[in-house]
Amino acid sequence: MRKALTFIASGAILTALLFFMIGCPSTDKSVVNDGNQGNAAFVPPGKHDDFYAFMSGGFSGQIGVYGLPSGRLFRVIPVFSQDAEKGYGYAEETKPMFNTSHGFIPWDDLHHLQLSKTKGELDGRWLFANANNTPRVARIDLRTFRTVEVLEIPNTGGNHASPFITENTEYIVSASRFSIPSEYGNSDVPIETYKENFKGALTFIKCDNEKSGAMKLGFQILMPGFNYDLSRAGKDKSHGWFFFTCYNSEQANTMLEVNASQKDKDFIAAVNWKKAEEYLAQGKGKAMKSQYAHNTYDETTHSAKSEILSEVITLDPADCPGMVYFIPTPKSPHGCDVDPTGEYIAGGGKLASVIPVYSFTKIQKAIADKKFDGDFAGIPVLNYAAALHGEVKKPGLGPLHTEFDEKGNAYTSFFVSSEIVKWNVKECKVLDRAPTFYSVGHLLVPGGDCRTPAGKYVVAMNKITKDRYLPTGPELTQSAQLYDISGEKMKLILDFPTIGEPHYAQACPAELLTKNSVKSFKLLENKHPYVALGEKEARVERKGNDVHIYMTSIRSHFMPDNVEGIKLGDIVYFHVTNLEQDWDVPHGFAVKGGADCTELLLMPGETQTMKWIPKATGVYPFYCTDFCSALHQEMQGYIRVSPANSSGELKANTIAKK
Amino acid sequence: MKYFYYLFMLFFVATGCSNNDQQNNGEQKLSNTEAVATKEPVKHGKIQHVDIKPEIDKEMAKQGLRIFDVTCTSCHKYDERYVGPPLGDVTKKRTPEYVMNMILDTENMIEKDDTVKCLLQTYLMKMPNMQVDEKDARSVLEHLREVAQQ
Repeated sequence: MRKALTFIASGAILTALLFFMIGCPSTDKSVVNDGNQGNAAFVPPGKHDDFYAFMSGGFSGQIGVYGLPSGRLFRVIPVFSQDAEKGYGYAEETKPMFNTSHGFIPWDDLHHLQLSKTKGELDGRWLFANANNTPRVARIDLRTFRTVEVLEIPNTGGNHASPFITENTEYIVSASRFSIPSEYGNSDVPIETYKENFKGALTFIKCDNEKSGAMKLGFQILMPGFNYDLSRAGKDKSHGWFFFTCYNSEQANTMLEVNASQKDKDFIAAVNWKKAEEYLAQGKGKAMKSQYAHNTYDETTHSAKSEILSEVITLDPADCPGMVYFIPTPKSPHGCDVDPTGEYIAGGGKLASVIPVYSFTKIQKAIADKKFDGDFAGIPVLNYAAALHGEVKKPGLGPLHTEFDEKGNAYTSFFVSSEIVKWNVKECKVLDRAPTFYSVGHLLVPGGDCRTPAGKYVVAMNKITKDRYLPTGPELTQSAQLYDISGEKMKLILDFPTIGEPHYAQACPAELLTKNSVKSFKLLENKHPYVALGEKEARVERKGNDVHIYMTSIRSHFMPDNVEGIKLGDIVYFHVTNLEQDWDVPHGFAVKGGADCTELLLMPGETQTMKWIPKATGVYPFYCTDFCSALHQEMQGYIRVSPANSSGELKANTIAKK
Repeated sequence: MKYFYYLFMLFFVATGCSNNDQQNNGEQKLSNTEAVATKEPVKHGKIQHVDIKPEIDKEMAKQGLRIFDVTCTSCHKYDERYVGPPLGDVTKKRTPEYVMNMILDTENMIEKDDTVKCLLQTYLMKMPNMQVDEKDARSVLEHLREVAQQ
């Protein structure tokens, strides 16, 4: 008890001291109300926003798509969680997207997003997202705003420093936030043997960046057992390098809150991935037995498949000199962000009172001059001063993440002091600060991690909402805030609610995506094995206890709409093809009763399958759930289920029968 | 056939579609010749002219049947009312340009063409744009010409 009191007291003193050092940040909500904020964010009815913002849905496992500056929500892209609004993960076609080496995982925790890049600029092709809990990386096709690929990451616990990408989307990285014993070696070890047995894998996923975007595991670097937190790729002059922050260099395995905050400095790991490629070419990679799922969605068959892969190539940094260096970084580093020139790397320490800014040129020089302060597990530790460009003094409390504009300025979020601080990168000098309501985590500038950001807005993704919106019981909406940064001073212009808990987000100019947006799937290109291309192909087929109903939907009827001869014990597969070819005409399909799945949603030209298992005899209605026309209410049908021993033939009112 | 005529008359009276529309849409004059002969001017739609040969291009008509089966049969039959009107003799009632424009410029025709406006009051279902390209629409026309001749 006494110990606890001392701990609390010393914490209070420390906080007071820090406030004294930096001056109290403003928390007066009235300072930002000059009456004009609404105008700056207002998009008139019928007009479009200038930017798409993709914001992680955090523990919802999904991605919210918003317009900027209006903050209007357009779509929730389902990624790592089932989503009834899209039918994702309920239809037979999308269930395989949830397969992992641990089986079907219907809900995960999505943290960070990356828009694909070419030459360090947004190219509008794909969006990458990480699953933190059951480590995976997903790729979303920005023509359809759908998840098309999911790759599981083996040997990883908590895929947090992910899915950050290189400037031509050559690699997407993943890193182990929780170091773990190798999953397929002897993983059953006492937790207290952390230092000997636990490793932190840094995974480099190779992307087919020229063509399909398909991902495959490139290699894993097995690092000492720290907590690997966040990362960014070098760009331009630093292209070829990747930077990962890590904390818990104390290698504690319990009460990390205290035990992992002992040392003054942890590290940023600087990885020369081009060097790693050389070592792989020399055969230094070791194949390790493993097990991980690779799930892909095919737009022509409208179906996903899942395969389990069994091998991963690993590199040991001790065997690969010149591949990894540690750069000391103050106080539990979190964010690590590279400026548009690729020269400066800003580190954010959760408990730090400065922002260290490293110089890529100086890092290279320190390596060449061997300015090392020893090593950790064979990995050289650079001298802090030798790598440092400068420190931003008294910036605020608890710097987390930094984004950049095109004018040489950086914007850093401060969780503890609840503010965004604008500073000049070269001079490491604070220029402006703006309060956030409340406790900002990540922040975004459109293109803020590119070579040429569009420094018009910064969006704060806040961790605490409190009194900003009408109360909705114990759980409040998540909250984001939009600031105009086109002038010298940051100006709050909009609060808007978000889904899940947004971690990182990225935004891009609207015209980059609108021109490629798919409006419907072409029927004649539909290669689904159970497609009905037109009503003439609508039919019913029995294969033992499996009944396949090839059904079509169009405004406003199903074909067939009367099915009889189903017997108790049958498994009914409704394969419904939406024959519409017009934009914005989905049909829904719902059947009463049954089990496993009772609803589908069908985009124009798409086929989806409902596995329906009747539990009792009777006649069950089915109908369209997505309002489609004036006669939508008439879009219905019946399916009759008879006893198992009944002699009724399977029949349906199809054209073919007439 | 006369019954049909009276039915149509009744419908136009009931819905307020004017006599003018009735004459323009030619719904009542079911001739045995193709509407191409009437040289009805193209009023709405992006297709201004379609080249038609007297004989049927069999290959094109075959492709047209395939497109028709996939994209049109959900709503149209040849000889009876379904979701939309029967199309077995549509080429005798409408010009080739009109048929092409209904397929390719659907929204525009629904919005502007008086005949389509009247039909909508009967069928209550706006014909969807099925995103057929011009080549395929032409083949559907050829198929419908072939059906009309049979």
